[in-house]
Amino acid sequence: MKEVFQMLNDPRFHLLYGVTQRFSTGPEPQLARLNREGFKLVEGVTRKTLVHPRMRLAVHPSPLRGDAFSPIFGRISEINERSIFVEAVEPTEEQRQAAENVEKNRVDLLTLPERGAELGMILKGLGLNTRSLGQHCKTLIINALNPDPGVTWAEPMLLTHLDTLKAGLEVLRRLSPAERILLAVPREMRLHHHDMEVVHVPSQYPASVNALVVKAVTGRENPDGVGIVGLHNVWSLGRVARTGLPLIETVLTIGSLEHSGNYIVKEGSTIGELLHFANIELKNGDTLVRGGPLRGESLDRLDRSVTKGSTGVFVVEAGTIPPMQGHSPCINCGACVLICPARLSPGLLSRNAEFALHERNRAEHIECCLECGLCGYVCIARRPVLQYIRLSKYKLAQADAAAKLEELRSASAESAAASGNASAAQQGGA
Amino acid sequence: MSAAATSVLLAMSAPPYWHCGRTIRQVSLYMLAGLMPAAVMAVCNWGLPAARVMALCVVTAVLVEALCQKVMGRELSVDDFTAVNAGLLLSFLLPAAAPWWLVMLGACIAVTLGKMAFGGLGTNPVNTPLVGWAVLFVSFPLLMDPNAMQLATDYADPLIRLRYFGVAAAEAIPFTDLLLGRQIGGLGAGQAGALFLGGSLLAAFGIIRWQIALGFFLGVAGPAALCHMLDPALNASPFFHLCTGSVLLGGFFLATEPANAPSRPLPMFIYGLLGGALTIAIRKYGVYVDGTPFAVLLVNLLTPLLDLIRPKPFGARSS
Repeated sequence: MKEVFQMLNDPRFHLLYGVTQRFSTGPEPQLARLNREGFKLVEGVTRKTLVHPRMRLAVHPSPLRGDAFSPIFGRISEINERSIFVEAVEPTEEQRQAAENVEKNRVDLLTLPERGAELGMILKGLGLNTRSLGQHCKTLIINALNPDPGVTWAEPMLLTHLDTLKAGLEVLRRLSPAERILLAVPREMRLHHHDMEVVHVPSQYPASVNALVVKAVTGRENPDGVGIVGLHNVWSLGRVARTGLPLIETVLTIGSLEHSGNYIVKEGSTIGELLHFANIELKNGDTLVRGGPLRGESLDRLDRSVTKGSTGVFVVEAGTIPPMQGHSPCINCGACVLICPARLSPGLLSRNAEFALHERNRAEHIECCLECGLCGYVCIARRPVLQYIRLSKYKLAQADAAAKLEELRSASAESAAASGNASAAQQGGA
Repeated sequence: MSAAATSVLLAMSAPPYWHCGRTIRQVSLYMLAGLMPAAVMAVCNWGLPAARVMALCVVTAVLVEALCQKVMGRELSVDDFTAVNAGLLLSFLLPAAAPWWLVMLGACIAVTLGKMAFGGLGTNPVNTPLVGWAVLFVSFPLLMDPNAMQLATDYADPLIRLRYFGVAAAEAIPFTDLLLGRQIGGLGAGQAGALFLGGSLLAAFGIIRWQIALGFFLGVAGPAALCHMLDPALNASPFFHLCTGSVLLGGFFLATEPANAPSRPLPMFIYGLLGGALTIAIRKYGVYVDGTPFAVLLVNLLTPLLDLIRPKPFGARSS
C-alpha cells in the first residue's frame, strides 16, 4: 500500500536493474592519482622514482587502513600533501623484473593460520581497508544492495562474480569476530546458497542505507552487536584472496543518462580517462559526480581520481534536473518530512542550519539522520537540504570536540591546582 | 588524457544530483490544471462575469505580489505562479457578480496580509486566499452573499434552502444539478463535479495530500451521516453536504495548502477530520450557512499543535 501512495515513483529507485554482465576491465591509466592523506611514504619513494604495478608507495599508521600501491608502470611525477601522482612510462627491464617478483610472491590467504586482527594486519599489507570487515560484533551483515540508485554492480557481483565473492566470504569468516555472517540481498532475487546465510530485504531506495538494512534484517533500529559491511568490501577481499596480490583495483559504475556500465578500474584512475573510456562526452554545465547520484560529491575537475571506496562515477547532464538557484527559502511544503526514512523534519533542520542555529537541531534529533539524500530529491524549492544537515552535524561535532577539550583543560587545571594546594599545605605543615 | 585536457565547465552542486523534477512552479501549474475544470464549468454556468472576476482577481494578486516583492527588495518570483493560484482560489469563493473593487480589494488583502506580511510563500500561518475572503466576508456581508448578488438566475442556493426552507426543499434540488454546478454559491466553489475531478487527480499525482482531503471529506460526511440517520427530516444527507457550499474546494484546495497544514500522515488526517467536522458544526449550529472557509481557517491555527504528534526518530534512544 505504501508503494502505491508514495511520491517516489522514479523507477530508478528500485535497486534491481537486471544487470548481470561481467564487469568490463577499465582503462590502463596514463596518470594515476593516489590519496596520501595521513599516509607515510615508504622509504625511497620520492619524486621521479620509477614504480611498477603493486609496488608499495605509502603506509598508513592505522592498522585498519590498507597500504597504498602503485597501480601502473610509471614514474612519480609529483607528491604533495594530499596526493601521489604517477605518470605512465614504458617500463624498463628493471621495472619488469620487479613487477614479476611481486607476481611471484603471492600470498595464499586461505592456508594462513592467522585469524582476526593478525589476519587483518596481513590484509592491510595487501591494500585492504579492514575497518568495517573486521569490526567487533556478534552478527555481521553484508549489505548486498546497490548502495545508491543508478549504481548497478551489486547484482552482477552476486550472480556472475560469485567465485570472488565466495573467496571473500571464506576470508571474512577468518577475519571477522562475528558469530553469524548474513548476506542481505534484494527480496526479488530469490537467491539461496547452501554455504551462506541469506536474508531477503526490500530493495526500494533508501532500503540500501546501512541502518535500514540492519533494521530489515534484525527488525530493530540501531541494535547493539550488529555490524554491517558493504558487498564491495567483500568483493575486494575475494579479489585479494583469489589473486594473492595487493589490491589495486575497484569496481564502479560509470553512468550518464544514456550509458551505464560496470568496470574494474585501477585505483587512482582519473575521472577524465574513465569517462573517455566509457565514451561519455561532457558538455558545459554538466555535473560530474563521484559516488552515487544521491549521496556522492560533485567534482570541478576531470583529473580527480577514484579510490577503493568509490561506488561510481556519474555525469548528470545539464537540463535533466531543475538547477539549484542559490537563495531558495524553505516553503514548508512538507515533502521532505513525508519521505524521510528517519522520521525527521529535514526542512526544519535545514532552516536551523541556514540561520546557524545548530544547537536547536540537537533537540530535533539531527544525529538520527541517515543521510540518504531523499529530502533534497523531493525538495520542490531545490534547497540543498542534505548539505545543510551535514553542515549542522559537522558544526555540532566541532562544538562537542571544543567542549570536551575545554572540560579536559579545566579538569587538568583543577587537578594541578589541587596538587599545588596539597604541596603548599605540606610545605606549610613542614 | 584527451578528455581531461579539453576544458569543460562543470556545474558544482550539492547532493543529491538526481531530482524528482518537481519545482514550485511546476506544482503551481499542476494546481492550476487541477482548477481548470472548475474554472471552465464556472464560465459555462455563470458566463462572462465569472471569467471577469477570475481574471481580475488573478491579475491583481500577481501585480500586488510583484509590487510587494519590489518594495521588500526581494527577487521577483511571481513566475512561480503561486500568486495566480491564490488569486484563482480566492475568485472561486466570490460571487460571479461581485463588483470590481471588491475583487481587487480581496486579492490585495489576500496577498499582502495573507502572504507577504509574513515573508512570502510558505510562511503564512493561515491560508492565503481565505484571509482575503474572510476580510471581505466580514466587511461586506451583503456583497459577498451570492444569494443576494445573483438575482438573474434560475439556480437555487441549496444551503439557504436547507436553513430556511427545510431538508425537503433543499433535497428537491437534483443531485446532478449540484454536481454540474447549477447552484448558487461562490463562482467556482459550487462546481462540485469539476472540483472533485480536478482534486482527485491532483491527489493521485501526489500534488495535494490525499490524507488531508480524505480526512476532510470523512469529517464532513461522518457527522452529517450520523445526524441524517438520527433525524432525516431535520438533517440533509452527507452527499448534500459534500456537494454544496465550498466543501469540495475547501477539502481539496484550501485545507491542503501544505505550508499551513501538518506534514505527517496521521496529523494530516486528524487535521482534515477536524476541519470537516467543524464545517458541519458551523452549518448546523453556527450563523453562517457555509462553514467551510471559517472551518479551514480555524484548523489552520491548530497545525502547530497537530505537528507535535510525531513519531520517534529512527533509532533514537528514549530519554
